[in-house]
Amino acid sequence: MSLTKTLHPDEKFKAGKLGSNMVKAGVGLFVVMMVISLILGSMHGDSMKRFLYAYVIGWSWIATIPIGMLWLVLLHHLCRGRWTTVVRRICEVMAAAIPMVFVAGLGFALPVVFGNKTLYYWTADVAHNALLNPTIVHKLSWLSPSFWFVRYLAYGAIYTAISFYFWKKSKEQDESGDPKISDTLRRASGPAMILYAFTTVFLSFDVLMSLSPKWYSTIYGVTFWGSGNIGAFAALALIVLWIQRNGRLVHSVTEEHYHDIGKWMFTFTFFWAYTAFSQFMLQWYGNLPEETVWYKYRLFGDWQWVSIAVLVGYWAFPFLFLMSRWTKRIVPALVFFAVWQLVFHWLDLYWTAMPNYDWTTVSHGGQTLVEGPLANQIALHHVGFTPLDVTVWLALVGFLLVGIGRGLTGNLIPVKDPTLGLSLAHEQL
Amino acid sequence: MATEDQKETPVPDASTEPRSPEDTGDASGKHGTAGELYGYLAEYDTPGELTEAARKIKDAGFTEFDCYSPFPVHGIDPAMGIKRTILPLIVFGGGFAGAVGGMLLQWYCNAHAWTWNISGKPTWSIPANIPIAYECGILLSVFASFFGMWALNKLPQVWHPLFRSDRFSRVTDDGFFLGVEAKDKRFDAEKTKAILHDAGAIAIEPVHFDPDPSKKVMPKWIMALIVASTAFALIPFAIAAKARNSHSSEPHYHIFPDMDFQPKFKADTANDNFADGRSNRSELVGAVARGWLEEDTSFYDGLTAEAGGQWIDGFPALYPDVPNIVPALRGTAFAIDKKLLARGQNRFNIYCTPCHGYDGRGMGMVPTRVQQSGGSWQARNLVDRAGTVVQQPNGQLFNTITNGFPPGMMGYGAQIPAADRWAIVAYVRALERSQIASADDQKGSR
Amino acid sequence: MSTAEATAAEHGDINEPGKARETFRAITRDVAWIAESPKPHKAWLVALGISMTMLGIGTYCIYKVIFTGIGVWGNSNTVCWAWDITNFVWWIGIGHAGTLISAVLYLTRQQWRVSINRSAEAMTIFAVMAAGLFPLLHTGRPWFAWWMFPLPNDMGSLWPQFRSPLMWDVFAVSTYATTSILFWFLGMVPDLATFRDRNAVKGNNIKAAIYGLFSLGWRGSARQWHRYERAYLILAGLATPLVFSVHSVVSFDFATSQLPGWHTTIFPPYFVAGAIFSGFAMVLTLLIPLRFLFNLQHIIKQAHIHAMCKIMLATGMMVGLAYGTEFFIAWYSGNPFESFTFISRAFGPFWWAYFAMVSCNVLIPQFFWSNWVKNNNILIWVLCIFVNIGMWFERFVIIATSLARSFLPSAWSYYHPTRYDVGVFVGTIGLFLTLFLLFFRFAPVVAMSEVKGASDEAHATGKKGSH
Repeated sequence: MSLTKTLHPDEKFKAGKLGSNMVKAGVGLFVVMMVISLILGSMHGDSMKRFLYAYVIGWSWIATIPIGMLWLVLLHHLCRGRWTTVVRRICEVMAAAIPMVFVAGLGFALPVVFGNKTLYYWTADVAHNALLNPTIVHKLSWLSPSFWFVRYLAYGAIYTAISFYFWKKSKEQDESGDPKISDTLRRASGPAMILYAFTTVFLSFDVLMSLSPKWYSTIYGVTFWGSGNIGAFAALALIVLWIQRNGRLVHSVTEEHYHDIGKWMFTFTFFWAYTAFSQFMLQWYGNLPEETVWYKYRLFGDWQWVSIAVLVGYWAFPFLFLMSRWTKRIVPALVFFAVWQLVFHWLDLYWTAMPNYDWTTVSHGGQTLVEGPLANQIALHHVGFTPLDVTVWLALVGFLLVGIGRGLTGNLIPVKDPTLGLSLAHEQL
Repeated sequence: MATEDQKETPVPDASTEPRSPEDTGDASGKHGTAGELYGYLAEYDTPGELTEAARKIKDAGFTEFDCYSPFPVHGIDPAMGIKRTILPLIVFGGGFAGAVGGMLLQWYCNAHAWTWNISGKPTWSIPANIPIAYECGILLSVFASFFGMWALNKLPQVWHPLFRSDRFSRVTDDGFFLGVEAKDKRFDAEKTKAILHDAGAIAIEPVHFDPDPSKKVMPKWIMALIVASTAFALIPFAIAAKARNSHSSEPHYHIFPDMDFQPKFKADTANDNFADGRSNRSELVGAVARGWLEEDTSFYDGLTAEAGGQWIDGFPALYPDVPNIVPALRGTAFAIDKKLLARGQNRFNIYCTPCHGYDGRGMGMVPTRVQQSGGSWQARNLVDRAGTVVQQPNGQLFNTITNGFPPGMMGYGAQIPAADRWAIVAYVRALERSQIASADDQKGSR
Repeated sequence: MSTAEATAAEHGDINEPGKARETFRAITRDVAWIAESPKPHKAWLVALGISMTMLGIGTYCIYKVIFTGIGVWGNSNTVCWAWDITNFVWWIGIGHAGTLISAVLYLTRQQWRVSINRSAEAMTIFAVMAAGLFPLLHTGRPWFAWWMFPLPNDMGSLWPQFRSPLMWDVFAVSTYATTSILFWFLGMVPDLATFRDRNAVKGNNIKAAIYGLFSLGWRGSARQWHRYERAYLILAGLATPLVFSVHSVVSFDFATSQLPGWHTTIFPPYFVAGAIFSGFAMVLTLLIPLRFLFNLQHIIKQAHIHAMCKIMLATGMMVGLAYGTEFFIAWYSGNPFESFTFISRAFGPFWWAYFAMVSCNVLIPQFFWSNWVKNNNILIWVLCIFVNIGMWFERFVIIATSLARSFLPSAWSYYHPTRYDVGVFVGTIGLFLTLFLLFFRFAPVVAMSEVKGASDEAHATGKKGSH
């Protein structure tokens, strides 16, 4: 039997203008950065290919945050969670940003549907060449722009349906205080989790893994999800802190809760490293050319430095320091690591996607054909960070803020949830 | 059935013992005359009361006191002023040492002391070394945690003055105790008792050390036993170490002989059966394996019988009657029939088509790939009317198949038995006929 | 009704004098009587008889395997790993549930674990012992097993090949066995002290001395509890990555190869999920009958069984997700060997094993959605047996079918187990059950101190009406 507390009488838990402020900031950021990005992108002279790559990377970053938060909401209901209740409404709002995220994604999805052939190799005409691409030709029914787009919309629809259902029911409970709603949500969370898992895995296959269509890895979906959750929890920590800085939930969210958010960040840092290492080590060890080619372009030449940066920055350094309980309880330390992990989450996605940017040509039967990503000489494979990468990312961050801000209205805490008392009284062992 | 068993084991039940706040049972009574005073032991009813009592004692300035309970009581650490233990640091040190040690072990063994070349892979391959370094790190962390904790707790310590209290046996069942030691600076028999009593003790008793001073230390015979058994336990390891580090001309032990001793002579061993005493025998000059005499030059070489023979024009007359020919054909007349051509086609398709192609024109997969890579090589066209192959005698063609055509073609004599080579010759001729047949090509046996 | 009111309704006011202590005594009594009853339970004796018979069969079969050789098994050049490695992975997987219950459920503050963690940890240790027999025997010359350790020797000091996953197994499984034993023992010390004190009070001096020796003189000191709790937390925190790594290393045995059906990156988390799945099934297989026979129903509550069924459902679904992903990628990859392997698994000569695997691992856990099923212990017990059968078949399908239909068609063959394959497996089941039954009789089968610490009464303040 644990202790319970009630909401502090002076506690401010209404969002008020918070949401609209966030939306305004987001719109501003988006408009400014997108204009700059479009200009920079057209200046690149590759018919917006670099722009689209930066877009996919930035979009994956903003997509993983609500996807991760949706997972936390489902897990909370599935396991009758207790400590998360205080922050659950914020997680629900973040998860409900998903439809806006998928609207943002149209920025790279619509070009693909409407004939862009520079982002995904499987859209290029040469992908149909059976002699050059025997391992792509057979799956072009799956990797066809129209079917791909239908799936894209389906993923968005599924995520939206789940997140909105749980958010709606949670807000209903604010009014009625009906404990049966908790039971309904608990029963729904099981099937929802299964649907969520399949959707996430296939989303990662479609959006990111197909950037190198000749390569494959069965753990890719799990790695994507694990890495995404690092960013999601980091974002949660920052958003909750920002809400507290604006005078809300000051008494409700304590360092005990931040400690737990930090623990999740630590756990997923470790989990991502585990899945990423498994993928690397197994493909390295098996030494099959069709698999090692992906790593060849990331471990030699210019990209090896980015790989080292990801290893040390995304895993080793945060792992070492997030082990200690003090980094998780002292807010400035947690903030530092949250920001750090968000930046390195972006770098990890950049490392995953960008080496596929350099396509090479080959002479075949008298024709010059595009052999696609991961076919150049390693020495020519440059990293080449450009400001475009950052501006597109920031533009999409703006879009995400709009998505989150739109939902940040009403109660910031599930006021009549039966487990709220336990969550408020939460203490570490 | 189960409840019967439960009833069979009577357990001292607290409700049957007389209890009162004034109960100050003296532990010394049971064990004869009292030794030195250890301290006072107070019992409380609930964990909460114990915590409060501990807080009062701590606030009164006591440091030599401890609480005893059947499970860790929530909130008692701050009440007693217990500082956080340094165990995590010890564990971290252990883990670090383990991980580094694991890496070093693998580097030393596989990349330094005896490097193994395993298909040219790096001798120190960190990705492959991580799992073991990781496990070593965890193992040493676990040891640090486990043994470190017992060491910090000064356990095992199987005797303690408090065990002399009968009441104290409840500490692992349902009892909550607070013990204040007499050696504490602020200890005063009456005042200390008063504090304990005011906090709600249901019983307070003085606890004494054993009057016999020799009982304060571990009996000598136990120490002797521990030392002796440790020494004895090390003997097998010592024997093994000595064996591992010494040389012996005795043969190894074979626990399960299995096929270790086989009734055969191994190379380079002594052998009394031969005059030169060796097992190794050299080849007898002119010895030929049975069935390998290969006298028939027309069949085996494609040459006519006389010295300085010519390539035979047709086919050999007979299959030799020797064991290295298929039994069905042994000694029979060489017949050019559908069976021969089918066999020839089958063998041609296996051995010859990679270079010469299925049509014999010389563009099989190998030349195709060469040309795809930018080269310009092609195998011999076997069916070109103006080419050498069509013109040459069968024997010469047979010889080419057997011995090859340097530098491009290797000989297939070792892979294709002679009978099959003749079948291939027959098939090649049939191919040629199919490609270049014309009305006036109706020669005899060609 | 608030939780405080519910507790009062169930237990009476825990702040009444002596009321809390009554609960603690009841917990002690309910667990200790199993070890203290002079005659063992009849059912226990019958079970022990059966398990020792199985152990006897196994001993004879192991004798044959060592003295005659691996040839007595059905392994061939093609299917070089069959029942031996299937059983090894099966047993190790079962062991993982114990560590998960002890460590991961502790880290996630799931209080309900305290009723089952002691038995689950014991189950882990005995499962690891059973598992360890197989790598030892399958070497063919188990008397040279010490060659696997980096000991200086007179062969130039020939060191092991540390880069081989089979060596990683040696380190991982030994670390796991060591850690499990130490963690189990650590948790038992306070309870062994309880047994010591109960025997000392009753005058059973020999028993008291033995329990006293093993309990290291534990006296429940709060200062010692502090360090003990810290060590417990650290060990739980270490055991969690350990349990993930052990089964991942076991999966590396397969995934580092190039064999289609073996070489796939999802194996590590997929094996871990499968291990937890089968492990929980084994925990329930053991505890449902024992809980009934030894009257532990109010310690091992139905709600706890519910929770375990849900975990099985979750991990079963994870395994199903892995199946689906593997199947999809086999097609997606365009690698004809991959796609052939998966089709051959489902429709080739081992289709029956594949069918058993899918129905037991994907379909059977679906029953656990139903609350009616989760309340029906006999049905749960049957379903758990099927889950374990299904997980055995999963390892068999992975190992034997991939080997039987590998790259070289001329090497393809079928596989038949021999009586010694079956006999050794039966023997390991016998070993496991024998050790577990002995544990159940002589050791504290429930973590008494933890159950007391998790109870409401542990927070009794002695002030009436407060909480």
